[in-house]
Amino acid sequence: MSKVLVVNDLHVSFDTYAGEVQAVRGVNFELEEGEVLAIVGESGCGKSVTAQTIMKLNPMPPARIVKGDITLGEHDIVNATEKEMMKIRGKEVSMIFQDPMTCLNPTMQVGKQLTEAIRHHRKLSKEDANKEAIHLLETVKIPNPAQRAKQYPHEFSGGMRQRVMIAMALSCAPKLLIADEPTTALDVTIQAQIMDLLQEIKEKTNTAIILITHDLGVVASMADRVAVMYAGKIVETGTAEDIFYRPSHPYTEALLRSLPKTELDRSVRLVSIAGTPPDLLLPPKGCGFASRCTSCMKICQTELPPDFTVEGKHQSACWLLHEDCPSKQCEVNSDGK
Amino acid sequence: MTLVKYIGKRIFYALLTLFALVALTFFMMRLLPGDPFIGQKAIPEATRKALDAKYGLDKSVLQQFLMYIGNILKGDLGISMHYNRPITDIIAQAFPYSFNLGMRALIFATIAGVLLGIIASVKRGTKWDTISMMFAIIGVSVPSFIIGALFQYFFGLKLYQWTGIKFFPITGWNSEMSKILPAFALSFGSLATVSRLMRTSMLDVLGQDYIKTAKSKGLSQKKIIWKHAVRNAIMPVVTVLGPIAATVLTGAFVVENIFSIPGMGKFFVLSIQVQDYTMISGITLFYGAFLVLANLIVDLLYGLIDPRVKLTELKE
Amino acid sequence: MDKLDKSRFEWVGANALEGEGIARPSISYWKDAMKRLSKNKTAIVCLGVIILIGLMAIVVPIISPYTVSEQHYAHTNAVMGFKDPTDGHLHLFGTDKLGRDIFTRVWSGARISLFIAITAVFVNFIIGIVYGGIAGYMGGMLDNVMMRFIEIINGIPYLIIVILLMMVLKPGTTTIIIAYAAVGWTGMARLVRGQLMSLKEQDYVVAAKVMGAKPARIIAKHLLPNTLSVVIVNITLAIPSAIFTEAFLSFIGLGVPVPLASWGTLANDGVKIFQMYPTQLMIPALCISITMLSFNLLGDGLRDALDPRLRR
Repeated sequence: MSKVLVVNDLHVSFDTYAGEVQAVRGVNFELEEGEVLAIVGESGCGKSVTAQTIMKLNPMPPARIVKGDITLGEHDIVNATEKEMMKIRGKEVSMIFQDPMTCLNPTMQVGKQLTEAIRHHRKLSKEDANKEAIHLLETVKIPNPAQRAKQYPHEFSGGMRQRVMIAMALSCAPKLLIADEPTTALDVTIQAQIMDLLQEIKEKTNTAIILITHDLGVVASMADRVAVMYAGKIVETGTAEDIFYRPSHPYTEALLRSLPKTELDRSVRLVSIAGTPPDLLLPPKGCGFASRCTSCMKICQTELPPDFTVEGKHQSACWLLHEDCPSKQCEVNSDGK
Repeated sequence: MTLVKYIGKRIFYALLTLFALVALTFFMMRLLPGDPFIGQKAIPEATRKALDAKYGLDKSVLQQFLMYIGNILKGDLGISMHYNRPITDIIAQAFPYSFNLGMRALIFATIAGVLLGIIASVKRGTKWDTISMMFAIIGVSVPSFIIGALFQYFFGLKLYQWTGIKFFPITGWNSEMSKILPAFALSFGSLATVSRLMRTSMLDVLGQDYIKTAKSKGLSQKKIIWKHAVRNAIMPVVTVLGPIAATVLTGAFVVENIFSIPGMGKFFVLSIQVQDYTMISGITLFYGAFLVLANLIVDLLYGLIDPRVKLTELKE
Repeated sequence: MDKLDKSRFEWVGANALEGEGIARPSISYWKDAMKRLSKNKTAIVCLGVIILIGLMAIVVPIISPYTVSEQHYAHTNAVMGFKDPTDGHLHLFGTDKLGRDIFTRVWSGARISLFIAITAVFVNFIIGIVYGGIAGYMGGMLDNVMMRFIEIINGIPYLIIVILLMMVLKPGTTTIIIAYAAVGWTGMARLVRGQLMSLKEQDYVVAAKVMGAKPARIIAKHLLPNTLSVVIVNITLAIPSAIFTEAFLSFIGLGVPVPLASWGTLANDGVKIFQMYPTQLMIPALCISITMLSFNLLGDGLRDALDPRLRR
């Protein structure tokens, strides 16, 4: 199976008046056809920036690709011109965004917003494009598609708008779909529907999906592989099983621990991670999580940990995994003390 | 509310405003010092009685008011004290010039202003942006009559003196060329306002999420701007067209005077100078009504182009 | 992998407190706004210009050897910088058709124009804040009625009302102020009401209420400061419009009466003989334009400085 996406040592910074904000500080991952990769992390960890950089959606004056490669299929994204990107966006890769309310043009009929992409990339005639748009609305389970296509976004509910976004994203059969927090702005019941829809689509079309979220529940139901991001770097990658059952990074563990349990034992306090993520204007020299890590060691504060292999493709960037690390420390780690 | 309800509401308010305007004019006139007929030659008693009866000056205030309204609805605005002609006649003669001038200025200001605003926003931060906005802020800060006088001087007189060719006549409204300077001078301030507003609106819209969506579909920058951004950005500009029409209209008074255009401005300024009260009130009433109508048209226009008005609550 | 010194694996533990600390020190809203404004060179220059004009307006008529209405028939329409041979004083801006010193007239005119503009705007501000404040804070039916009223007043072109009022009342400075105030307050009222309505619903106001803050405290600490910033910008931008209105009224003959001079009347006089003596129009025109421009740019600068979203 060919690789749909290869991201190699990606560094993205924003040039602001206050200085250079290093939003993405060396990210590596790959994606195979039909695979679902979930990128998890707190707000501000750089996951959205990474995703948008794959499509070069960030306005390039403040944003800047400092170094790294992004290979989408045969396309070299980093060096692609804007003209080339216009052909790639929507066709090879497409994106659905977090807030369906603001992501649709309020003064344009929904059908037209769909046919726009279709006519641009597939060069269909007006009637054919219209038919295709209605067909797409059917695929995402919108009732009365022919009528709905002539309506405006404000006449749709939140969940339906997100379906329209999905329809738009799939209209040109992209190889990769990036879903940036697709369910965050929706009710829990609608969330489930949308996730089911995405699952169906993945099975039918074999599209690779990058699912960006901070909701681990969503990850569990759909992801093949998971990448945990923190402060602009990926700290752990592995299959969903690896991450949930064999977390090998203090941050991942802390995240899992902070999930509210379903038991009604009121004596158990909610666990949170003390502290806040580091300021990326002045990124820390060592591991980004050092100041909040209960197992922090001297080396963690001064040197960036490389990726250590836990097992097979399960990797984690933590000094605890270094062969010289005394086992006592590793025990301390799992105790959480 | 539905479109119909919206239209109905707007029309109702327009009528209410018109009524307030008429009442205001009427009562203002009554407060004026002196007798409307003083200043003319001495009038014989009998004629005086007849005039009183005609204008109902011997009846109660309320009856006079009703008569006034009645007259207006019949199209009778009274007689100019100074010219001794029916005011409606004077208006009918002079208004076409003002209208022509005003419309040219308004259309030019709107179109050029919108284009300038779009350019400034798309080329934000570059020299085009800076130049356009400098131009705009000067337009907003320099009163129209000064601009009119300057244009007249430099483009009319000086240009002629330097080149010997009469490019722009400095007065009058006969040839096509003579219409350019006054229309442009009149449009200047509004052009500036519209371009500033359009620029802000475009910048606002370009930061919206649906623009990102459009980009993610692979659409070209040009398409994104014209098919998505402009349509949304132009709406605040439409709402402001009403007050801009008012500005253009009032500016017309002054510009007509400077360029000696036989429009209503000339009559109006003259009537203020000679204190021709009936004419003043007649013209103000006419202008007021015209502006209420213009505002109504703009409101209706907005209702038509904003799809959200047709079906949802209109946020005020 | 290289063998690393075992001591480097010494356990340090989490530095939670250090983690909780926020990297950059925070400064208060107003201080931040002032800092931002002071960095805006254009705005500072404009502020300087305005202060300069104000000072000239106050000082010049006092120290000038000429009065506003003094007429020197021997030296009418003199050029700028003309030195009067009889008393040795300089006519910095020349004289007008009646031999009056234009420099003195311009700066007395400044007094009048600025006084009218500032007072009119101030009156609008008071009426507007009270009206808008009540409507915005009370909400409900009262607000509804008050806003309908404003809508009708707004429908009548303000110039019409101004002109009608000017005709009825004796022409003069007070009349112009009254006329302007009669219709100009609607903008400020709408603004204040709009701000209060949206602020009322903001989470931090609701939070304050929930924590038991009394209405007075809510108004003082939360509602007012946020309204104030918008109001300040509006006032700064309203002044050029007032100056313009006064100039316009003077231009069509409804301005301050002779022998008082305002910039508008001076411009009006200047327009009549523009082609022969252009400076007599240019000077008041420049004064008007520069003042309006300065206030406009300052207002823009203030708006950018006070916008909390641009906070650093």
